[in-house]
Amino acid sequence: MVPLENYLFLSSILFVLGLIGVIVRRSVIVVILCIELMMNGANLAFVSYGHFLNSMDGQLIVFFVMAVAAAEAAIGLAIVVMIYRNRESTDLDEVNLLKF
Amino acid sequence: MASTLVFYFLAIVTTVGAVSVVALPNPMYCVFSLIVTFLGLAGLYLSLNAQFVAIVQIIIYASAIMMLFLFVIMLINLDKEDKKVLRIPFQKLLGIVFGLFVFLVLIIVLKDVNISVHIKGVFTPQYINQIGNTQLIGKLLLSKYLLPFQTMGVLLFVGIIGAVVLGRRKSR
Repeated sequence: MVPLENYLFLSSILFVLGLIGVIVRRSVIVVILCIELMMNGANLAFVSYGHFLNSMDGQLIVFFVMAVAAAEAAIGLAIVVMIYRNRESTDLDEVNLLKF
Repeated sequence: MASTLVFYFLAIVTTVGAVSVVALPNPMYCVFSLIVTFLGLAGLYLSLNAQFVAIVQIIIYASAIMMLFLFVIMLINLDKEDKKVLRIPFQKLLGIVFGLFVFLVLIIVLKDVNISVHIKGVFTPQYINQIGNTQLIGKLLLSKYLLPFQTMGVLLFVGIIGAVVLGRRKSR
């Protein structure tokens, strides 16, 4: 039986890797991918706590997080396409005017 | 002992995938390594007795959402992150240091977590296997979590409308 601490350690590794990616990378698509990575780290913590506390709530919350992630990916990618259409580039450093 | 080996194998697969999402320069390879990470996470969910979540992870995350990303990457002509000057000097170094700091905080918080003091629920693995994981999730989704479930539907509807409005080409 693997203890809870290992799962929490792995989930914090995933979360921190996503955080580093959001800060370091400059392509918008990779930044959105890293946000998905952070969400998955949180999901792993939810499911492992739910399993070790004999509760189903963790698994249910993971569904809601997945729905939010799907909506976020759809709208975020639409914004990426719009930025590319206006600027011919998806570099985050060039998107600094808050207008188009 | 076998479950420990499976856990470490899946943990290594997941971590390697996550590291290559952050490190690889080509966004296409980032998407593929994120799919590897999601498959490893689905295996971890299986080891945590969350079968339905594992299947949904593969079907929705590793297939549907990642296919959306692949389509957008193929649609727009992405250039690699070239060697232009960064707006903030030492941005990569500062980002890594900040991430390690957050990791340190998380480890300090999580290292003495003690779940034996919490009240345990009624859903033991025997009980769940007796009814069935999927049946139990369906029942809870339509009784205890009915309002969040319907709100989730509204959220996805708004998301569809927003994506269509944003992606539409303006007619002039």
